[in-house]
Amino acid sequence: MYILRFSPDSASLIVRLVLEELGLPYEARPINRDAGELSSPQYRALHPLGKIPAMETPHGPMFESAAILLYLSDRHPGLAPAPDALDRAAFLKWFFFTSTNIHPTLMEIYYPERVAGEAAAEAVAVHAAARMKVLLAALDTAAEPNPAWLSAYKPSLLGYYVAVLMRWLGQNKPSSVAYIRSTDYPALHKVVAMLEARAATRTVAEAEGLGAQPFTDPI
Amino acid sequence: MYILHYAPDNASQIIRLMLEEMGLPYRTALLDRSTRAQDSAQYRAVNPTGLIPALQTPDATLFETGAILLWLCDSHVSMAPAPGAPGRADFLKWLFFTANTLHADSRLLFYPEQYAGSPEAIPAFRSACEARIHRDLGLLEALAASAPDYLNAQSPSALGYYICCLIRWINLYPTDRTGWLHLANFPALYALALALQERPAALRVSTAEGLGSTIFTAPHYADPPEGSVI
Repeated sequence: MYILRFSPDSASLIVRLVLEELGLPYEARPINRDAGELSSPQYRALHPLGKIPAMETPHGPMFESAAILLYLSDRHPGLAPAPDALDRAAFLKWFFFTSTNIHPTLMEIYYPERVAGEAAAEAVAVHAAARMKVLLAALDTAAEPNPAWLSAYKPSLLGYYVAVLMRWLGQNKPSSVAYIRSTDYPALHKVVAMLEARAATRTVAEAEGLGAQPFTDPI
Repeated sequence: MYILHYAPDNASQIIRLMLEEMGLPYRTALLDRSTRAQDSAQYRAVNPTGLIPALQTPDATLFETGAILLWLCDSHVSMAPAPGAPGRADFLKWLFFTANTLHADSRLLFYPEQYAGSPEAIPAFRSACEARIHRDLGLLEALAASAPDYLNAQSPSALGYYICCLIRWINLYPTDRTGWLHLANFPALYALALALQERPAALRVSTAEGLGSTIFTAPHYADPPEGSVI
């Protein structure tokens, strides 16, 4: 049994979608952020930096979204190439690309003041938004041939990861420097539009109040 | 036969250390950064992102340091817990922590002009980065002190080489802050760095890329026989 420590619409969402899609038994246990639970000794024992998500597993506590995703997918096959599969290499490079390039850049767009203080926040966001468009264009090109690990026809680990990142980008206002919609990236748009109709997505969207089109028209 | 697309003392060094440590046959293809070879059409055909390194294998071309590292470990069942092995979950979380947090914070430190937004913001930006790097290394120090299979001074590990290369670069860049990190304050990481830099694999890479003798504990700028570091 996995226990996912979550907060609605935070990075725990990616893991929750994958747990649902794999049909695994799990408990989604909310984090009381208002009461400062992220700083509590109990939560810090799960995640020393007090970030979201953390997940309790039979192998001990885990953190880092991408590490949890890869751990789950290697234990419960179906959403990504297995460690000895021929297309594992292609999957891994774009999975790491998403996790180490796209995801941190998104955090710079969302929390630019964390990078260099309030005074530089606007400039940081402008730089990050410009980089984001280049990164997404590269991933869109990789998705064009419809690889199994980022397909428009079947659910995938990387697809869900990208879908949630697209959701958060799509929440920016049209006036924002980082106003980016999934439709700007045709191959990625097909992937996330397909995932939006999955039963797993419907279940999680209901549980976390994400609306009818959580990836293509997020609220 | 693997082909490692590299530049001296770049992130490709992590992969080169692993290839040497695993004793795998490979050859290098130099990317001359002084002529921005990483932006050439030839390299973009290998790696569309233009990032260094890339590894060509008989079946595919990989990029992203963490992806190459994990793929090599799993393909050769070496230097990290295999899928399903005890310690795999912990290894994965600290690998991604290193790639997404320590490596990401280091990149911000190395290239403040790319990230800070404006020259006036650089000092505040830099102190915030240095504080985060101290925090990150504090966590890895506690991990190394517990000496798990995938990170200890007694046996070479993928995560150990990854962390030690980052420690090297954190102490060398940016050039006006060389040596700001006092590794002796992190005794378990210091012991790890000392053990790894004396490995025959590390000595071979040091010779090939002109890194000197104390590549992790007291690094000097590279004087490579070919290519350019920046």
